[in-house]
Amino acid sequence: MKIISTIIALIVLVGFAIAWTTATFHPTPLRFVVPKGWPQPLYDFKNNPLTVEGFTLGKTLFYDGRLSKDGNFSCASCHQQFAAFATYEHNLSHGYNNSLTERNAPALQNLAWQKEFMWDGGINHLDVQPIAPITNEHEMAETLENVVNKLKNDTSYQRLFRSAFGDATINTQRIMKALSQFMLMMVSSNSKYDKVMRGEASFILPEQLGYNIFKMKCASCHKEPFFTDFSYRDIGMPMDEVLKDEGRKKITRLKSDSLKFRVPSLRNVAVTDPYGHDGRFFSLMNVFEHYRKNMQPDENTDSLLQHKLPLSNFEIGQLTAFLRTLTDTSFLTNTGFAPPGYSLVPPQTHLH
Amino acid sequence: MRRYSIQILHTCIVLLTVYHVHAQQHSIVIQFHPKVGAQQLQLFTEAYSNSNGEPFTVNRFRFYVSHIVLIDEHRQEQTFSNDYFLVDAADTASQKIMLPTSFKKIHAIRFTVGVDSLRNVSGVQTGALDPMNGMFWTWNTGYVFAKLEGQSDSSHMAAHTFSYHVGGYKPGENATRVVVLKTNTDNDSIDITVDELKWFGGKHLISIQQYPVCHQPGSLAMQLADNIAGSFSIENHP
Repeated sequence: MKIISTIIALIVLVGFAIAWTTATFHPTPLRFVVPKGWPQPLYDFKNNPLTVEGFTLGKTLFYDGRLSKDGNFSCASCHQQFAAFATYEHNLSHGYNNSLTERNAPALQNLAWQKEFMWDGGINHLDVQPIAPITNEHEMAETLENVVNKLKNDTSYQRLFRSAFGDATINTQRIMKALSQFMLMMVSSNSKYDKVMRGEASFILPEQLGYNIFKMKCASCHKEPFFTDFSYRDIGMPMDEVLKDEGRKKITRLKSDSLKFRVPSLRNVAVTDPYGHDGRFFSLMNVFEHYRKNMQPDENTDSLLQHKLPLSNFEIGQLTAFLRTLTDTSFLTNTGFAPPGYSLVPPQTHLH
Repeated sequence: MRRYSIQILHTCIVLLTVYHVHAQQHSIVIQFHPKVGAQQLQLFTEAYSNSNGEPFTVNRFRFYVSHIVLIDEHRQEQTFSNDYFLVDAADTASQKIMLPTSFKKIHAIRFTVGVDSLRNVSGVQTGALDPMNGMFWTWNTGYVFAKLEGQSDSSHMAAHTFSYHVGGYKPGENATRVVVLKTNTDNDSIDITVDELKWFGGKHLISIQQYPVCHQPGSLAMQLADNIAGSFSIENHP
């Protein structure tokens, strides 16, 4: 009798154990650290709690070419880590079927603090941003339906989704939330500039002089600590005759927003060349030349730039020294963002 | 002992109440009937004529219904605020919405055509609101609330297509519209006619020749939204 009851008790216990391991879902929380002195992020983490498993899934998706129609274009083909997740040395990026994008791929960094996305701010939430490049015919040219089906047919993805979300359901929402988790972790806050601000390093003289000039002439739009005020401005770049890109006006339909584009962050600016919404500036020197000489102010051009932005050769030299202090090598070489399976960040490569 | 019996009695009462309410719950079916004038809508094949005398065929017709409120004869309201439905002319199952209610007689029904602003700004949704359903603007975030696409000789676009995508949630371009219909039915179904002719000739006269395309929020989308709101009516049973 005693043996029977012991056996029954054991069976019940094993049953509970099985039920516990299959029914419960314990992902490992991932801590999001707000750098000292920075504001609280705008992203609502409550609706998409960061986990190691979600981040890993997001990273796998980010580097998977199957998100594109022909399998050649992953998110990472235009957003390369060594270029702060911009496209290295490309004014416009390559897309499906030998096409080119219509705008310069922006760096991906500090996205948790960004309210609107794209050069025109047309996208209002990070979780819906990837839908635009995935479905754009000049980029990944794929449908969400096909993406979901391709992933469903891969058992390794079923495993990844189960560990990130508790079951193997694969849908648009989960794909986007996982991609967000990966991208939200892309925080760049450890450049020499940051170390100087934290009192861990000091500027050499040209960097310090450059910083002083920067605060006087650039910082009202390229505001610290993000080096952008996230506003849309016209800096006197005449419209490209082929692209005919009106910028912010496309979203608001206001004439007063014609040729306005988001102020880009200058973090990691030394590695995100070319510059400008259409990548028309090949180098930082081209940008300085634009501001002091080439710009063509129009009726929407920022009032601060109505008389261009006078810069002496000396100032340009010091500014360049300062801007180089914004390069965050710990971000550019963080293996946490490298493709799955890589223990080193892949070297700079020309992908297309 | 007495304490226990009171507890047991209490439990019984609770169970009975739950059972009672549950027993009175039944389903009400809201059935949408896409039509053109008095005719049943035929996709692709049938040619129609709008109030401007413009000929047209319909290839695609879809719209979102949300925030459904059932109102009974005592003006009591039952709200389904978290349910979003995508009604598609090509999918008869989508035209039938079943809702649980305890109301015996439905005096009126109120619903929103479109998607409220909150769902337009709070990131990626799923179910009827999955961006995969093709009712989502990717480049300028927002849902397309209603979509009518087809062909017309009056259209100067390639292949004579016309394409109306109606949406917009921001102040000044809000294209959601609330529809109230008196039903006075004690049936278990509410039959609602959706007349496509009203898209062109409702509150505003919209000509395909003048406006073959609406692909962004704004004044044209809001005019179309006004017309759409007037396209719903309770089906008259002979």
